[in-house]
Amino acid sequence: MKIKAITIGLMAAAALAVPAKADKLDDIIGSGTLRCAVVLDFPPMGSRDAQNNPVGFDVDYCNDLAKALGVTAEIVETPFPERIPALMSGRVDVGVASTSDTLERAKTVGMTIPYFAFEMAVTANTNSGVTSFETMKGKTVGATAGTYEAIALEEQVKAWGEGTFRPYQTQADVFLALSQGQLDATVSTSTVAQANVKTGSYPNIAVVGKAPFDTDYVALFTNREEYGLINYLNLFINQQVRTGRYAELYEKWVGGEAPDLRVPGVYR
Amino acid sequence: MFGYTFRWNQALQALPQMLDGALVTLQVAILSMVIGLALAIMLTLFRRSDSRILRGFAVAWVEVARNTPALFQIYMAHFGLGNFGIHLSPFAALLAGIAFNNAGYLAENFRGALKAIPETQARAGRSLGMGSLQAFRLIVLPQMLRIAFLPMTNQMVWAILMTSLGVTVGMNTDLAGITQELNARSFRTFEFFAIAAVIYYLIAKAVTLGARLVARRLFRY
Repeated sequence: MKIKAITIGLMAAAALAVPAKADKLDDIIGSGTLRCAVVLDFPPMGSRDAQNNPVGFDVDYCNDLAKALGVTAEIVETPFPERIPALMSGRVDVGVASTSDTLERAKTVGMTIPYFAFEMAVTANTNSGVTSFETMKGKTVGATAGTYEAIALEEQVKAWGEGTFRPYQTQADVFLALSQGQLDATVSTSTVAQANVKTGSYPNIAVVGKAPFDTDYVALFTNREEYGLINYLNLFINQQVRTGRYAELYEKWVGGEAPDLRVPGVYR
Repeated sequence: MFGYTFRWNQALQALPQMLDGALVTLQVAILSMVIGLALAIMLTLFRRSDSRILRGFAVAWVEVARNTPALFQIYMAHFGLGNFGIHLSPFAALLAGIAFNNAGYLAENFRGALKAIPETQARAGRSLGMGSLQAFRLIVLPQMLRIAFLPMTNQMVWAILMTSLGVTVGMNTDLAGITQELNARSFRTFEFFAIAAVIYYLIAKAVTLGARLVARRLFRY
């Protein structure tokens, strides 16, 4: 009798203990809210409209993801350098923040398959004499701290052995410095370059050419050990392309033909 | 804890790089302090002058320096002046911003210190045949610096900590700049920031302790 009582007690305890093993995917669905880290000074991927509402490709992408999960999306504005602290301190669930999937970073966070791909463009101050990537040699150049292009450009400046590299904290500061002539040129994603030149708020700047860096594939990211969620995100990205939603969002925010997200000659 | 495993060995490999950055940080802080001191003495003299313009200039400087954020002052030195075609490098802008801030606070410290020195001392100097500036330089100034010495070390510590704001104007050679860059590359945020915090703490602590030792030697009665 006593043994039976204990057994039932243990079974009840085990049954109660099961929900504690819920993973992040369960947590998100259970909480009813998906919190996305989005960079909002990175048009057209993320920015604010005239009413101060977050808009952009990444914002729409997060909303789509929330819809697929059946929850509401919450956009958490996260500057580039704060993406990881935001994730690790549990303020966000997923980063939809144009994050380049470098091997170095993948040691820390879990990356999905690419959901977007950037090409790099050189934007120059029209008085600087920079007319192409090569003519940036020896000049003062800069980019947004913590981005793929900033890391690549700084290495390029070191390889050239002349000129200066300056990282600024936001994309807006880079274009402000460029327009004032404090920087001669910058490398940014071509989408960002065109969006900023088009606003007209930065005089004296022009896109002068492509930068010969590798295509910058960007991934969604979450905690490294959340395989359940990463699996879901991979399938979600696949479905976005399959259903034509990726092309639709690309047309809406960037225009033109959406870049291929596959790397030829290799799996995944 | 929060789903983050600390990997210290990877972060500690970058320690020499961070210590190089700490040297730059110290360099900026010391330079800003030297320039700030000179400017503060100038402002103190301006405040005591008979010219309303000079007095107004000094008061305006102190008001702006003390009542606006250092971040704003550094940002203005870079992007504000940049708007008028004056281009300061990140190093110069950071130095200018902190020196401006230091001057304002130190001038206010000096004003307090001056109040503690009896008027009669300068008068005694004058009666010995010293000129007004001479009396200030030989009699008042040394006592003022002695009274203001510990507040000055406070400002020095503050200057060291303010250098971390340089990242907002593109500074990438000081401790904060290097930490940010290491973080961007590897995403090992917490290790690098923890190491940076320890280095800042040690520098600041060394400055206060050093100043206390110096004060004990210099200001023996």
